[in-house]
Amino acid sequence: MLGRIGRWIDERGKFSDLWRSQMVEYKVPKNLTFPYAFGIMAIVALVIQIVSGIFLTMYYKPDIHLAFDSANYTIMKEVPFMWLIRHIHAAGANFFLAVVYLHILTGIYYNAYKKPRELTWIVGWAIYFVLLMTALSGYLLPWGQLSYWGMVVTTEIPTSIPGVIGETISVWMKGGYELGQITLGRFFGLHIWLLPLILLGLVSLHLYLVRANGISNPDGVEIDKKKEGVPFHPYITLKEGAYVMWYLAIFFFFVFFHMSHFLPADNYEPADPFKTPPHIAPEWYLLAFYTIFRSIPDKFLGFVVFNLALVLLLILPFLDFSPLRSAKNRPLFFIAFVILVISSIALTILGTMAPTPTNAMLGMIFTVGFIGFFLALPVISIVEWGWYKAKGGRNQ
Amino acid sequence: MIKAVFFTVLTLVFFFIIWFYNPFVHRETYQVPREHMAIINDYSKYAKEGRELFQQNCQACHSVRYDSMYLSSAEANPNMSALKEKYGKVLPRNVYEASFHSDLMALKESFGKVPPDLSTAYLSKGPQYLYAFILEPQKVLPGTSMPAVMEGRPEETAKIVAYLRSVSEPSPQEKNKRTLMGFITIGYLIFMGILLFLWRKKKLKEMGL
Repeated sequence: MLGRIGRWIDERGKFSDLWRSQMVEYKVPKNLTFPYAFGIMAIVALVIQIVSGIFLTMYYKPDIHLAFDSANYTIMKEVPFMWLIRHIHAAGANFFLAVVYLHILTGIYYNAYKKPRELTWIVGWAIYFVLLMTALSGYLLPWGQLSYWGMVVTTEIPTSIPGVIGETISVWMKGGYELGQITLGRFFGLHIWLLPLILLGLVSLHLYLVRANGISNPDGVEIDKKKEGVPFHPYITLKEGAYVMWYLAIFFFFVFFHMSHFLPADNYEPADPFKTPPHIAPEWYLLAFYTIFRSIPDKFLGFVVFNLALVLLLILPFLDFSPLRSAKNRPLFFIAFVILVISSIALTILGTMAPTPTNAMLGMIFTVGFIGFFLALPVISIVEWGWYKAKGGRNQ
Repeated sequence: MIKAVFFTVLTLVFFFIIWFYNPFVHRETYQVPREHMAIINDYSKYAKEGRELFQQNCQACHSVRYDSMYLSSAEANPNMSALKEKYGKVLPRNVYEASFHSDLMALKESFGKVPPDLSTAYLSKGPQYLYAFILEPQKVLPGTSMPAVMEGRPEETAKIVAYLRSVSEPSPQEKNKRTLMGFITIGYLIFMGILLFLWRKKKLKEMGL
């Protein structure tokens, strides 16, 4: 009976053709490494966020008097299993960004942004940017001390633009001169509707572009898809399916046993505009940019540099015009990549520390390392064009 | 291979620092004697006793709204039962603050600020800080307007902390259930991952890859 229904649907919907052409006959390189699974992990994280977020909106109240209680009493104590949903949503946001960062670094390491995949990279950057906005707006919603003061600091960043413009942007973001009901209401709307919808559209476009151009290759050589590739299903689906299961196992370890870093203690205190907490720092995924902003003595210059860091990430495909692909074949690029990774890690960890002069000095040094990676790329590319010509135009 | 190990170790160290323990950040720590820590850890047993102690010593200034415990002056107010009937046992914050504004303002008059609600105090401050602060407020936070109500009564202080913990944290039975649920979920996922891997091996053999 079920088989007959299935056949009836398939005859009309042609789903098995779709499956065959898109999953089985779609060929991918055989040598894909583990980091290529970060992409599918990010999609899984997105789905988890959307589903758990829908459940949270059922009980959350976007009202400055009620938000804290709805999150910490109704959701955490009153409604059965909502604690689990909130843990999943809070840990999921951190895991989503962690996986996205690893995905970005994988893309840089294997030079997955090179022709013809520049557009994929640009759309991916847009996803990353919208994701940061989503995380930022969602962090305000519990209306605890950290939520409140984190957003106060964030909305003060534009005031470093001299003149009336910075002040105007800041007031426009807050919807007033201080954080209040208007801010909470608009961030709630953005967080649950606009930003996720943009995110879904961008992710679909990103996936389409990945399909249209084929998956890049860790060895830096394009494969002849007809002859060399392996079928996407079952070769990759089952392999990355297993990785996703283990990724979820780690995720649920945090959800059940280690939430203290995702629901930080200071945020269990209701927002109080008259009491500044001793340490205000954004979440870890923004700390690198925050440290860049904080280390530079001149506020406006700091603002310019941290925006420059974001823009350099966007135009990365055009900074790197070397004929060689993948850090495996590019020793100079590999060194620069290691400097980038170490600088990002150091900037993030410096952001958790107190803003002493020594830390500001270290912050400046690692800012140079971070920006230096992007500025060194054109030079590395020119050197590698030299090698390439000397070898007679062969790739390796 | 060396590169893979290098990047894996770097990633793991990074997330350990960010998500488990950050050695670069200095935190204030307070000591709780072992016998009193045992009371706080066995919070379901001492919660009732702690609640009575809280009513005797703290309720004049502090509320615990999530446990339906309000200021004594508010509890004595005849409006309270009507409010509870309308809004449920846990009154919304704005309703509570507006209805008993005069009581709260009287406290503000004498202490300089409204004493905070302690529903989530255990979660935001942790047992060590709460114990040390309630016992000797001036030593932990010089200049605070909190009077040393519990001075010289460490065991009763521990019981009050145990009560606050029972308000903030799920009961031990519930916690055990959650732990079991966690183990089952994680075990299931690891097992499914292994099954997928074995299935893939079989499939690839069939296909000759």
